[in-house]
Amino acid sequence: MSYREDAVDYWSDLTRAEQGVSGSIALFAAVLLVGLVTGGLNPTYFLFLVGLAGMYALMSLGLNSQWGFSGLINFSVAAFFGIGAYGAALMTSDSSPVLGGFDPILGLVVALSVAAVMAVLIGVPTLRLRADYLAIASLGLAEVVRLLVLNERQWTNGSGGVRGIPRFFENWPILSTFPEAMPVIEIAVPRIGFSIPGLFGIIPGLDVVILSGSLIVLDSPFYQMLLNISLATIFVGASYLVLRRAHRSPWGRVLRTIRSDEDLARALGKNTYSFKMQSFVLGSVIMALAGVFYAHLNLFVSPGDLNPITTFYVWVAVILGGSGSNRGALFGGIVVVTIREGTRFLNEFGWIPFDTAPLRLLMIGFLIVLVMKFRPQGILPPQRELIWPDAIAGSETKPERHTNQQTGGDTNE
Amino acid sequence: MSVLELVANGLIFSSILVLGSIGLSLIYSIANFANFAHGDTMTVGAYSALVTFGAVGGLGGSVLGLPYGFFVALLVGAAMAAVVAVVTEKVIYESLDIGSIGLLITSIGIAFIYRSVIQIGFGADFTRFDIGALRPIEWLVPYGIRVTEHDVAIVISAAILVGGLHVLLQYTDLGRKMRAMADNPDLARISGIRTKRITLVTWVIGAGLAGAGGVFLGLFNQLAPRMGFNLLLLIFAAVILGGIGSIYGAMLGGFLIGMISQLTPVLEMVGIPIGIEYSNAIAFVIMVVVLLVRPTGIAGEAT
Repeated sequence: MSYREDAVDYWSDLTRAEQGVSGSIALFAAVLLVGLVTGGLNPTYFLFLVGLAGMYALMSLGLNSQWGFSGLINFSVAAFFGIGAYGAALMTSDSSPVLGGFDPILGLVVALSVAAVMAVLIGVPTLRLRADYLAIASLGLAEVVRLLVLNERQWTNGSGGVRGIPRFFENWPILSTFPEAMPVIEIAVPRIGFSIPGLFGIIPGLDVVILSGSLIVLDSPFYQMLLNISLATIFVGASYLVLRRAHRSPWGRVLRTIRSDEDLARALGKNTYSFKMQSFVLGSVIMALAGVFYAHLNLFVSPGDLNPITTFYVWVAVILGGSGSNRGALFGGIVVVTIREGTRFLNEFGWIPFDTAPLRLLMIGFLIVLVMKFRPQGILPPQRELIWPDAIAGSETKPERHTNQQTGGDTNE
Repeated sequence: MSVLELVANGLIFSSILVLGSIGLSLIYSIANFANFAHGDTMTVGAYSALVTFGAVGGLGGSVLGLPYGFFVALLVGAAMAAVVAVVTEKVIYESLDIGSIGLLITSIGIAFIYRSVIQIGFGADFTRFDIGALRPIEWLVPYGIRVTEHDVAIVISAAILVGGLHVLLQYTDLGRKMRAMADNPDLARISGIRTKRITLVTWVIGAGLAGAGGVFLGLFNQLAPRMGFNLLLLIFAAVILGGIGSIYGAMLGGFLIGMISQLTPVLEMVGIPIGIEYSNAIAFVIMVVVLLVRPTGIAGEAT
């Protein structure tokens, strides 16, 4: 069998949604590539966006392990993100009001530990609650955390935020000087696009035509961002692998059973409270990891980072991607960053007669409503599963293919 | 600030919260989901009143420092909030079959749509009703109470609305049907009550009261696209404290939460170092404690 047939087989083996998503991702990547090559998109800024996408993907993965795996409606994503960011910032910054000046690795460890402790503290009272009460209670407690960060100036520097956070690789032997050591590369790209032969001098006999305004400079901020991206890749990759392993393990199966029918799980002798707590802590730690990454990416954290809107962005990412699906969470994270950052460019169009900031909120709102109306299981729902929990309790969600027979426990109540 | 003035402020803020809480509680028990768009329904009411008041003007005389035109605007604001909520129910919620959690998540999207549309129309900045600020009522100042006639108008109007709702619920056929449905929708249905119609009436009353509450909030503070969403968690706290589904519980919960949040400075007076910046946090903690200890709330039946 040739490679071509393999590829065709693989393609036809995907569900229609998977084909659609793959197609859109390819198209999106092509658009980005055009933007990069024509100089319309600054490569450093592009990498920053990739970093943000990684950050949202991390938070989505964390929420997915709570909501997607065990059905916990956690509306305190922003609080755990903030705990991670503030934990790292306060430990490592030289202008930190408490501690400060420690190695980022230690900051990472401390931030994640604090997040785990906070998750237990918030989880102990709330995880016994009914699903919709958990939503309200966790949103309330997240606000309490935000108010504490905003008002306890002696610990957090209040609304001024924390500055002077070092980069993550600052104390590392080679990586700390890597951005400065790399040569500055200037790539001149003709404005007319791809049709120019002789690009980069690969084809002999034809020179690259240099036009002003389309010079791509790869200097030390670019390499700095490249380091950040590798950090994000490590974080996201590690979390993804851990969660995939957890999802397929007996532990993950118990969680999914809890989600589709908690009484059933209890009848099977599982301590559902303990399992829910484990999944809550795991997800919260991953959200805090996103916060740690953010602190070292942005080098500045402020109480505004704990704004509940972050929570809802992450929820959109998870619902859109498909509750319970890790790759859906990754996909959702990219979409959310595209909406969040893409709408910033809209102000450049003069014909829109109002400030375009609310458009972001409008799109997010419509996205939530449309997904819930037309595809409540999300775009990339989990496939090939033994246990099929309803994406939303009471909805008629059936796997499209590759699943075994429906099990008995998940019919509508 | 004297304690008496804090109590007076608590009474005013409570009036606004009660108007929001009743609607949220009604919808929670009859439509069976936590409506996160309820706060933004209040915002819709407030901005509709702003536009109306700008259009009709003062209309001559005034009551309690408020021109007649403002009361017209109040009615229009309540009506607009009701219309928007009913349209949303008909177009979105009714056609969804995704359980209470799905509806909860959908209502967050609805809340964002309301808020962003208002922000597109009016900008993100604070605005005020075009009514001059009043001086505090003179004869109350010696007691250390500085409230304006506007504040009195808020409390009296809220009392009239709540009293009207009480009469409706207790002494009319419609009210009995609503109470029956809040109690047990299935039982109400097999008793021959047209539950769909009652659900619609519930949305009208709940959202209308919320719209009126939004107008008063705009008069008490200012108008901003975020005003309703910022109040939402306090309203949830009130509803949960009072007991979900109980209208009188919502009134009591709204009153208590409003009082508690305005009386926070008393804590510092008696030496507990919790400042006014934590007034909301206290309400949220109370909410979580109530959920844990007595999830049915004060007025709810222990089941």
